[in-house]
This record gives sequence, structure tokens and C-alpha cells, in this order.
Amino acid sequence: MSGNRVAVIGVGQTKYAAVRGDVSLAGLLREAVYRALADAHLGMDDIDAIVVGKAPDFFEGVMMPEGYLAEALGAVGKPLFRVHTAGSVGGSTAIVAAGHIQSGVHERVLTVGWEMQSCSEAMWALSFPLPFQQQLVAGAGGYFAPFIREYMRRSGAPDDIGILVALKDRLNALKNPYAHLHEPDVTYDSVKDSFMLWEPIRYSETCPSSDGAIALVLGGEAAAEASAASTGVSPAWIHGTSMRSEPAMASGRDQVSPQASQDCAADVFAQAGITDPRRQIDVVEMYVPFSWYEPMWLESLGFAEVGHGWKLTEDGATQMSGDLPVNCSGGVLSTNPIGASGMIRFGEAAMQVRGQAGDHQIEGARLALGHAYGGAAQFFAMWVVGSDKP
Amino acid sequence: MLEAPLVIEYPFNRTTGPVIGAFLTGLREQRVLGIRGVDGRVVCPPVEYDPQTSEPLTEMVEVGAEGTVTSWSRVTTPRDGQPLGGAHTLALIRLDGADTSMLHVVDGEVVTGDRVRIRWADEREGLITDIAAFEPVEGGV
Repeated sequence: MSGNRVAVIGVGQTKYAAVRGDVSLAGLLREAVYRALADAHLGMDDIDAIVVGKAPDFFEGVMMPEGYLAEALGAVGKPLFRVHTAGSVGGSTAIVAAGHIQSGVHERVLTVGWEMQSCSEAMWALSFPLPFQQQLVAGAGGYFAPFIREYMRRSGAPDDIGILVALKDRLNALKNPYAHLHEPDVTYDSVKDSFMLWEPIRYSETCPSSDGAIALVLGGEAAAEASAASTGVSPAWIHGTSMRSEPAMASGRDQVSPQASQDCAADVFAQAGITDPRRQIDVVEMYVPFSWYEPMWLESLGFAEVGHGWKLTEDGATQMSGDLPVNCSGGVLSTNPIGASGMIRFGEAAMQVRGQAGDHQIEGARLALGHAYGGAAQFFAMWVVGSDKP
Repeated sequence: MLEAPLVIEYPFNRTTGPVIGAFLTGLREQRVLGIRGVDGRVVCPPVEYDPQTSEPLTEMVEVGAEGTVTSWSRVTTPRDGQPLGGAHTLALIRLDGADTSMLHVVDGEVVTGDRVRIRWADEREGLITDIAAFEPVEGGV
């Protein structure tokens, strides 16, 4: 990673829920912001610039919400920057915020991602009828189901790998007090017997619709060291950041393992000096809104040989007790405020290397990957964070 | 050349939070609430966070049902969907006790400095339209 050093020095999340009827949109963000600032032992006056991100405006019906939210975010008289890259936006936003510091222009930057899905019905929002096109009322999962079917065909994976992913993530969520879904009675059979929503994706293999926000405080080297001295918690140093995108309808595009995904992973690992991600990365927070995306991304990112990603899931390698824990927080499968979901992955990765993850902490985690994707599996954002200064 | 309509309809819900929620509930009870900012001025309609310092605001202040026009635009030829169904005036109105102005409709001709008073809707449901319109105050300053 070029430029000045950057670290995550504060993480704040709201409790995620189907409906946060007790707060306005501004109040929701403010909760996350307060917690992130408190975690960093900083106040709003210490912040130099604010970078925010969320999914499409029509998911909530607030056009250019950054204007309405400026006062709530403490942005009066400060630069306020909005990022938008569909579902990957939480990750992209954190990367843009890091760029504000890498460039040497700012020292302490607040970044916030959010969604209030209770304002609308985002799962179906992209299914409006277009002229001269078949109206499928497919929803987001219907769009991805054929990609998953193709992965199953190519890899020869057993039919129940998705069930194993969903069960793992929902059980992990029980260890995360902020997770939206807490289903203590979830079992292999309860996932297997749930409604087949978009074959081969069952209801319990699908992300929920959540309200919530996450905020991160990023600092340059001086700010990070000052914060660490004050809080006693080590910063999560950013070892690499990368974003890639590709057109949804490009001919020859591989929708199972998009080139942009492979390139983004190769770039971020090269920046971080990682040559064997399976061995070197201690914990992964990966964007898995539909269960089968765990083995698909394991292969696309280089954690497994092509066609073998599902074996890591089946062998338990991706469980918290495995050698490559994936989504200890419960992941997108347990919590999905869309515009926040990517930043939650990035923030949870930071929490792991800071030793802050509580009951879902992986002991001794020193290097973590945060991953997000969006659109038609076409936008990608990743960062590698570590407890050691790069 | 082929043409086809594209109509996107998409319903939304809003969570108002404690401050806007109190303002809208007040309208239902024929009371208008502002909020006191850090500098002591009363902002109406109220805001959750101070416009200068970003601090959360909590001190709701009831303001008057009469106020002063601070600027205006006369609509002589209303279009479909505009309020009142006839000629009217869109005006910025600073209610008595408030330090900021709100935009609403005046049923009548007014100019800057004129006094106006709220005409409440007969049935109120916690919406800005609970104020059916403002009316000029006869003999006002």
C-alpha cells in the first residue's frame, strides 16, 4: 500500500434489527458514530473529514442523504464525501476514507455506512418491469441463483454445502450481540426444511433485511499511536486496499468467479505481502448474502484451488475452530443493512486483529481480510488489516 | 421507433425519531413545537442536531399559532396538485417565538412583514398538512 500509514482506531456498531422504529435515520447513524468515537477516545471535534456510503438512494427514498445528515455526522464546516458502489459500498467507502489519510491531507477521518431497509423492500427493489424485457420478479437471490447452480455443476459440490454455511453463520451470530438474527434453535434440519426461495437457495440460506449502521475512525500513524496509548488497544493497521469492477453484461464474463474479483484479491494480497492466503490470513470477513457464496469466494480469492472451495466448508476449516475462520460475526447471512454490510466486514476484520471481537474473537488473530461485493457480482472491495505496523 | 412507458412505483416508510415525531404529534394536538439550539435560538420546524455544533437537541419549545411572513411567492394560476385549489401564496413564515421560518401556504395575498395565523385541518393525523393553511391576520402590523 502506497502513501502514509493508516489504521482503524475506532469501531462502532448499532444493534441490527428488522425495524429500528425508535430512531430517525440521523439518530441511527449517530449511535454508531458515538460508539466509534468512544472506542477511539476521540470527540467529534477531533475529526478532520467524514466519508459516508450507502446503497441506492431509492432503497430509503432519501435523495442525497449526506446533505440532510451533515449536522448529525458532525460535518459542519468539514469535508463530507459520499461513495456509492452498490452492495460493496461499505468496503469502498472505508477504502476512500483511508485514501483521505494515505494522501497526507487528513489525519483523523470518520467513515459511516448504513441502511434502513425497513423504509422499503430492497430485496425486490431491483425487480421493476423494464420495457421490452421479461419481468421475472426474481429479487436479488433470483439473480444469483443461476450463478450458484453453475458453481455446483462445475465443482461437483454436494447439495448441502449451502446448508452448512448457513448453519455455521447463524450459530456464529449467537456470539455477536450486534447481529440481527439470533436463532438459538437453528439446526441442519431447520435450514434444510426451510422454504425453497430461489432454488437452490432456501429461505434460511438468505440474508435478512436489516436496519443498522457502522462507523469506523481511521487515523494516520501519529493519531493511531496516540489512540493506542490512550485506549490500550492496538490499532488495526491497513496493509492493503483494493477495488475492482467490471460490466454486468460483458461478453465472456465469468459470473461464478468474476475477473474483477480475482484481480482485486491478487492486488490486495500483493500489497500486504501475502503469497499463501490460506496459511497467512488468520480470519476472514467475507460478503456472503447467499450461503453458496462462501465456497465460491474461497476459490475466487485464492483460498482454495478452483473446484475445491466447498471442501473447506465441508471439513469445518471455515468454522471458528477451523484454520481459516470465515464470518465469525455471523456475516451478511445474519445481518444485512446493505450499505453497511461491506463496512461491517471491514470493521469486524479490524476488531479481530485488535482483539475486540468478544465471544467471536479468534485468539491471536494478527492478519484479517475484509471483503465486499455488489451489483451483479461486479463491484469488489477488499482490505487486509493487521496488528503489526506494515 | 418503438416506445414503451416505464413507471416505477415504490412505497416508502419513515421513522421520525423523537424530535420530528414530537413535532408531528404536536400538530395533531394543534400545538407547534420548535427546539432550542445551543445558541439559545428556537428552530421551527425542529431539528435533531444543532445546525452549528452538531450536538443533540432536546429542549422542545412551543411557539405561537401566529407569525410573520419573511418572504413569499404568489401563485395566481395553480396547477394540478398544488394546495388550496385556487390562487394562493407560498410563504416563509416565522412563527412567534421561533427564530427560523417554515415554508407553508397562505390562503390570501400577503407580502413580507404581514401577519398570518394557522388554520387547522378539521381532521388531524400528525402530518404537516394538519396545518391546512395560514390566513392573513386582519389589522396586523
